[in-house]
Amino acid sequence: MNEKSKPKYTVPQNVWWMVKIAWKTRKRVLVFCVLTAALEILYNLSQLYIAPEILRRVEEHAGMETLLGTILFFTAALFVTLGLKDYIVQNTMFPRVDVRSVIIGMIGYKCNTTSFPNTLDADFIKLRDKAHTACDNNREATELIWQTITLLLQNAGGLVIYLTILSHLDLTLMAAVVVTCVVGFLIARCSDNWMFAHREAEEVYYAKKKYIRGRSESVEMAKDIRIFGLQQWLSELLDNVHDVYLDFRLKAERVRLLSDITEAVMTAARNGIAYVYLIHMALAEGLSVSEFLLYFTAVTGFTEWVMGILQQAEKLHKQSLDISCVREFLEYPEPFRFEGGKPIPAADGYELKLEHVSFRYPGAEEDTIRGLNLTVHPGEKLAVVGLNGAGKSTLIRLLCGLFDPTEGRVLLNGADIREFNRREYYDLFSAVFQEFSILDVTVAENIAQTSTQIDHDKVRDCVEKAGLTKTIAELPDGLDTHVGREVYLDGVLFSGGQTQRLMLARALYKDAPILLLDEPTAALDPIAENDIYLKYNSMTAGKTSVFISHRLASTRFCDRIIFIADGRVAEEGTHESLLAMGGAYAKLFEVQSRYYQEGKEF
Amino acid sequence: MKEKKNTESASQESFLHGNTSKASLAPCLHGNTISRALAVHLRAGKLLAGISPRFFTVMTLYAVVDALAPYAAVFFSAQILKELALLRRADVLWRWVTACVACTGAFAVLKSFLYQREETLFDDLYGRKEILFAKKMFSMDYADMDKQETHDLREQIRESENWSSWGMMRVPQVYEYGLKSITGIAGGIALTVSLFTSPVPASAGWLTALNSPLFIFLLAALMVVVSLLAGVCNVKSISYWSSASEDATFGNRLFGFFGFIGLKKDRGTDIRIYNQQNLVSAYWGKNRSFSGDGVMAKLAMGPMGIYSGLGTCISVLITGSIYVFTCLKAWAGAFDVGSITQYVGAATAMTESIFNLTALLGILKTNAGYLDTTFRFLDIPNAMYQGSLTTEKRSDRQYDVEFRNVSFKYPGSELWALKDVSIRFRVGRRLAIVGENGSGKTTFIKLLCRLYDPQEGQILLNGIDIRKYNYRDYMNIFSVVFQDFQLLSQPLGSNVAGSASYDEEKVRRALTDAGFGDRLETMPDGLNTQLYKDFTENGVEISGGEAQKIAIARALYKDAPFIILDEPTAALDPIAEAEIYGKFDEIAGDKTAIYISHRLSSCKFCDEIAVFDEGRIVQRGTHEELVADEAGKYHELWSAQAQYYTE
Repeated sequence: MNEKSKPKYTVPQNVWWMVKIAWKTRKRVLVFCVLTAALEILYNLSQLYIAPEILRRVEEHAGMETLLGTILFFTAALFVTLGLKDYIVQNTMFPRVDVRSVIIGMIGYKCNTTSFPNTLDADFIKLRDKAHTACDNNREATELIWQTITLLLQNAGGLVIYLTILSHLDLTLMAAVVVTCVVGFLIARCSDNWMFAHREAEEVYYAKKKYIRGRSESVEMAKDIRIFGLQQWLSELLDNVHDVYLDFRLKAERVRLLSDITEAVMTAARNGIAYVYLIHMALAEGLSVSEFLLYFTAVTGFTEWVMGILQQAEKLHKQSLDISCVREFLEYPEPFRFEGGKPIPAADGYELKLEHVSFRYPGAEEDTIRGLNLTVHPGEKLAVVGLNGAGKSTLIRLLCGLFDPTEGRVLLNGADIREFNRREYYDLFSAVFQEFSILDVTVAENIAQTSTQIDHDKVRDCVEKAGLTKTIAELPDGLDTHVGREVYLDGVLFSGGQTQRLMLARALYKDAPILLLDEPTAALDPIAENDIYLKYNSMTAGKTSVFISHRLASTRFCDRIIFIADGRVAEEGTHESLLAMGGAYAKLFEVQSRYYQEGKEF
Repeated sequence: MKEKKNTESASQESFLHGNTSKASLAPCLHGNTISRALAVHLRAGKLLAGISPRFFTVMTLYAVVDALAPYAAVFFSAQILKELALLRRADVLWRWVTACVACTGAFAVLKSFLYQREETLFDDLYGRKEILFAKKMFSMDYADMDKQETHDLREQIRESENWSSWGMMRVPQVYEYGLKSITGIAGGIALTVSLFTSPVPASAGWLTALNSPLFIFLLAALMVVVSLLAGVCNVKSISYWSSASEDATFGNRLFGFFGFIGLKKDRGTDIRIYNQQNLVSAYWGKNRSFSGDGVMAKLAMGPMGIYSGLGTCISVLITGSIYVFTCLKAWAGAFDVGSITQYVGAATAMTESIFNLTALLGILKTNAGYLDTTFRFLDIPNAMYQGSLTTEKRSDRQYDVEFRNVSFKYPGSELWALKDVSIRFRVGRRLAIVGENGSGKTTFIKLLCRLYDPQEGQILLNGIDIRKYNYRDYMNIFSVVFQDFQLLSQPLGSNVAGSASYDEEKVRRALTDAGFGDRLETMPDGLNTQLYKDFTENGVEISGGEAQKIAIARALYKDAPFIILDEPTAALDPIAEAEIYGKFDEIAGDKTAIYISHRLSSCKFCDEIAVFDEGRIVQRGTHEELVADEAGKYHELWSAQAQYYTE
């Protein structure tokens, strides 16, 4: 999307943003940056001077005490700086993780609360993925930036000190050294850019390898692999994806090699220049061995500071781009109203009305819902039936405000729902969708959707109504057992049917005035399904409810059935009136019930 | 140790960890532990060398060149300094400078070539060694595959690698490390021999004591002792990590689940309607294992950090001692100041090699444990492959299969999933299996297809226990469409045939028979159309119903004598369902067909129905017979559904 367009924030703005978060979260992050840089410079200086200073004492044949004293001094300096440096490095990770966690928390909040259509928006998804990548692990921008800042401080400090040490050497020498650095850096950057440009290609190779391996090792696939003898095919695919990756990797190798070899040549050139210059000086001006050694080491060290600044500035620039993505994601515009808005009117019953509603998915060529008019009356039990793809689930999402219509309006007791605070509007609905989110928290928390203030009696009551009491009783910790194995290894894995019941219990616990059920019994066996149908009346007592099913039989206990085809209400009425009409509904029912009629032949 | 090189390994599992893979070391290793550790490394090494022999060749060359390069630099710069210290002959100086620049430059270039090739081959091997695990997974007995234990073991191997790269890929690093250290020590000795052989002249008085060979041992002993001490400190420091590893992996799981939950598309609706952000942030906040006020952070401030710092800076003691010894000798006139740099440089490089070598012993021992885990997985026996009888190819499809008093429990379960089941399949007939969830229907199929062997009773093929047949041969007589059938994100045709190459005509016919014919016409690349977008972006997404038809086509393509459909219409709407039902008889042809369904309407097709309840077959007969028995299970199931359709 905005790979080519300018990032919204500059490097200083992003650094400042990170510093502010660190200041609020853990000030230590910043202190450690400065401290590490300072210790690194001190350690470097001890290393620079140790050999020349000791050599000078030997050269001058100074007294034994002076010689030993010098050795002791520098050894102690190295000992202390090295030890402290390592000690601090051991401590840097934790506060940095805190800062990154805060940012991940911000991204997570945005993901989980953003307007639903955003979650289907390609631009949003791309930014979201970039934002997540920037926080993925401690080698990514939101944590690595501290290391980059440390190194920049350290290299800048080092550079200034070395410039004073080398100040009475010829400027042309320094210029030549800088040139070799810049050439090496530029070639390395070309190679990095190549790698960066091909990063997506590389990710694709990884994804392919991961996919084939994952499938080969998956339990779900295991039966099919054995019955259909897919081992041979999978082995070929496995070899194949790795061969293709090796080809790519060899190409990448050539690019990396180019930069390595340039670096080697530039280093040799730099050393050559330094030797020639310093030996000339030694022969002409009688430079001592220790001075020669000091200058030679300092020239080499100087190049490292220059290189370091170039490299770290480049890194900071890249990290800033990533951080800019994070910020753009966090500031992504919200089409829904989440702040302010009219209060939801208190009422005994709610009427939902769709007025000439059309809806088209972003990027789709046709409308999924076309000019649909529908009123769901307070307290009504409405059934929605239709073939796969007729738009039933989309209709439900429009009703509960997960989508806004492309044309037309959705009205709650006569008011456009866009005028309300959307989060408060969601409070009106208890829903069981086909796709769901059961969290790896306890059973009770999943039902109550909170970890504090759980009404345990109400939970037990809902569990009973959803027919889960026996299942829960058999769990080791009952309602406090964790669901799923992704977080708690002793969690319970529910079957499809049990999961559906759990979702039902959750919907009952929420006890909202409007109940939406999208095929809530698909995973249940006939007896269990029937059991739910029988309870449906008591569950929906006093509520407005919308029930979707492609099993027509299940809709008969509803007050009204609408049959959806091509995004419109094709037929509506009661089961009996629809059958009498002899239209599409009747035909569909005939097909399904054929097998249940006694005495018919096939 | 070399940094973890492969970007691929930086999976989501390891988001929070630093590179904590510092060398650990146990100073007092018993001889037999070392030899055992070496043996298991050798085994793993051979396995890896079998995958990529080139890698080991390149790595050997690289290790030697890399270990010797620093000594070249030390040697040549020392020669220049020596000349400067004494005679300062211009021509000699220029000769040494040329040699120095040329030689170190050549080393650097050669090293680049070897390093890059080694990296490439390492990345390649890193991926390819996974094939070993993948192949093990799809060739082991299904019973093992289905065990949580197996997956835990596999996960443990994977986590060790992601967490701190322990396991298989440490083996090449151990090899490289060992080789570098030994070469490095040899190079160091070569450049320091003259340090000991150049005598202090007699005129230096008491300093001639420095000529004693005792100093060789003193310095060597100092290097070893200090390197061991550093090792002890590092082990101490690292041990705090492993003590927290359980807490850490839990923290990581919490982090991975609650931190990234918004990425999961299916969760989007519930998250909003039920405002799950509240719960998510409550749990997210519980993740303190790496926090700045967590236990690990406190340890890092205290003993963990101190031990680590000490382990690092203690090596300076060696540097200091070498300076003292060398400078005193030079001061006393044994050699010039230029030589000091050679000796100090060489000894410092050698010290590093010794440190690495002692650290290697610790790594070797620790990694042996991880390799044991790896081999525990790779050595899981394949028990089902022991039968040897071949099933003869019969054109008349007279495969007579019988269950005789079969009982079965899942491993680790107390309950019988099947109890005392006896049934004989009539060749060429249709059998329906019905029952509530959990009544044993799918388990029955799993036993029939020998995904499991029963604990009691026998399953016979043409009168012989199926365990006596060759496993692959036996599998060949079954085509199954499981409820949770799986297709690969690969070309449509390959999915039907289960192989990369296939008989196009036959595949088309199977797809048409399965009711996919019309859809096939609209597939952009016909049979070559990639299914799903997991493998390539050009893939075509198909609906659940379409996938089911492809799975049925796959079963037809195999053309096995038994065709088994496990709830084949669950994902279909009424019209599609009716289509499959109508065709079922035709599809099955002269095959023996077994049909499992929740929707009892399907049973009316079948010649016989077996009703399962709590692991037993409680009723058998035709639909008419069974529905007539009003006290029976079948009647109960039937009425539950039919009441909505019969007026």
